[in-house]
Amino acid sequence: MFINYEHNNHVYNITVERRENQFFIVYDNNEYTVSATELKPGQLAIQLGDRVIKSVISQGGDNKFVFIDGSIFKVKRIELTGRKTTEKKEGDLHSPISGTIVAIKVREGSLVKKDDVLLVIEAMKMEYLIRAPYDGKVKKVHFKEKEQIEIGQLTAEIKKEVE
Amino acid sequence: MFKKVLIANRGEIAVRIIKACQEMGIRTVAVYSEVDSHSPHVQLADESINLGDPTPSESYLNIAKIIESATHVHAEAIHPGYGFLAENPDFAKACADTGIKFIGPTPEVIRLMGDKIEAKKTISGADVPVIPGYHGVKQDLSTLLKEGKKIGFPLLVKATAGGGGKGMRVVHAESELEQSIESAKREAKSAFGNDSVFLEQYIDRPRHIEFQILADEHGQVIHLFERECSIQRRHQKIIEETPSPVMTPKLREAMGDAAVAAARTVGYTNAGTIEFMVDGKQNFYFMEMNTRLQVEHPITEMTTGVDLAKWQLRIASGMELTIKQNDLVQRGHALECRIYAEDPSNGFLPSIGTLEKVELPIGPNIRNDTGVEANFKVSPYYDPMLAKLTVSSENRQESIDKMIWALSHYVVLGVTTNISFLKKVLEHPEFRKGNITTHFINDYFRDWLVTKEGLPLDALIALAVYDSLHTQRQEVVRYKEADPHSPWQHVGRWRIGV
Repeated sequence: MFINYEHNNHVYNITVERRENQFFIVYDNNEYTVSATELKPGQLAIQLGDRVIKSVISQGGDNKFVFIDGSIFKVKRIELTGRKTTEKKEGDLHSPISGTIVAIKVREGSLVKKDDVLLVIEAMKMEYLIRAPYDGKVKKVHFKEKEQIEIGQLTAEIKKEVE
Repeated sequence: MFKKVLIANRGEIAVRIIKACQEMGIRTVAVYSEVDSHSPHVQLADESINLGDPTPSESYLNIAKIIESATHVHAEAIHPGYGFLAENPDFAKACADTGIKFIGPTPEVIRLMGDKIEAKKTISGADVPVIPGYHGVKQDLSTLLKEGKKIGFPLLVKATAGGGGKGMRVVHAESELEQSIESAKREAKSAFGNDSVFLEQYIDRPRHIEFQILADEHGQVIHLFERECSIQRRHQKIIEETPSPVMTPKLREAMGDAAVAAARTVGYTNAGTIEFMVDGKQNFYFMEMNTRLQVEHPITEMTTGVDLAKWQLRIASGMELTIKQNDLVQRGHALECRIYAEDPSNGFLPSIGTLEKVELPIGPNIRNDTGVEANFKVSPYYDPMLAKLTVSSENRQESIDKMIWALSHYVVLGVTTNISFLKKVLEHPEFRKGNITTHFINDYFRDWLVTKEGLPLDALIALAVYDSLHTQRQEVVRYKEADPHSPWQHVGRWRIGV
């Protein structure tokens, strides 16, 4: 099985084959043979050579959380499609935070100027403003007022005005 | 003693107070908003009342609804916890007007201490040092210049209506004073519609040290020593400890006396905290008084053996303090970390989601105060603090080691937390040495990132094993091959429903 994990804009490619409770893992041209026991759901004890890796893993939506050696890593399993997944387009309109949409200042078709406020997101008693990255026309608003938004979701789309 | 108490709060502090009541044989009533209906505080309480809409103003901040709930269930007293209505004089008054005992000081004291300038004026009358400054109503330039020179430099110009650093200037020399006052006034005018400013001596890199007070309703006031709370982010504490690494017996006595004097002057009752700023030369200045139980109260409990929540209940029911100042001793050292659902590598932005797994560290002298559990949804409606982790040991170095161990075994999966960050702060050599100020996070952790190093190999191996165990195989094993003795082997071709 071939798997790609994304963590902090880095992609890690790994292959894993399982025979009973033996796992053959290849990463970065190295092969690791481990045996593993799932003590409780998500709680693993993995024997690698003469040491034991203890880890707790949970899955919530697209994300996995890995607890290992006192640190926690948020990881996403991704399908590579040949395109770079980490590209950031000019004028990011993705939500920087998970929260509630408290106000929408524009409608589809509205003309906006650069830095106009498009939406207001409230999270934990603080407000975050999503502003227009450039002059243009609102093509789509993906949310309604009072709706919940998750971090990284696209708030709206703006068609750049070309004079 | 009360027979029934309503707890007007949620999360770990509601759980903490409910447990104290139950140990004392008091029936407890929890209140909750819709999103909290399965929360630990609701499950633990003897009764619970749904306040509906999760918006704070419609639930935990709604005075009318909470008073009505308390009346309805015949609760004799309300414990407000911290935050929400804990320091709202109107709520304390509404309780009194309905014949319900508010577990805290009187509405008058809450109101007085809530006005930061009036509080300083009143407290300075009790021979408690306050930061030298000018808080007068005369706002003409010549008065302000004259007062500014009297205070000396560096000096802080601050908008009376201020907040969030707006209308604030640090002035390092007399030559900058006039221009700084004018620009602070302009900024204050446009931000708050009020250009009134005050002047204060500026203390660079102060420590934040506070004293715990208990005062009964019969005139007895004691202090339960200090808490060092200098480690803060966004002006909120994240790590607290006691004793403070800079405290000396002489300074402790002076500050303790000042704290008791401050509480006496205003006629304080119940548990409270006097906050001081301490400069590099061990000068201390009264900052403000928190008229409630503090988040960080467990470190005081662990080093003195006194249960502050229970004393709040006893004092409110009219009992006299039986602990004398001279009987109190500070034993060992205690450290508290606040576990937040937030992302320290992204400006401490709150993170919401469902807690998939929660496993707390257990061990000698490790205390967990928590109001969450697995499957709990961290919502955007309330403060993102999930829990508090408190440890105590014989001395500071051992407490730090124990805390690092406990944080390393603290499993909260499903949301981003500050646990790795807390560990890094504790491991910092300057923290170890006790060289901490309110600027510590800004000085040493400004652009901190959780994982500069990327994913460790062990995490990748664990993930691969996990996914290998939990991924449905593409080529599903056919039933025929799976069990040669199955009766399906002999059925042949057939279809259902023909």
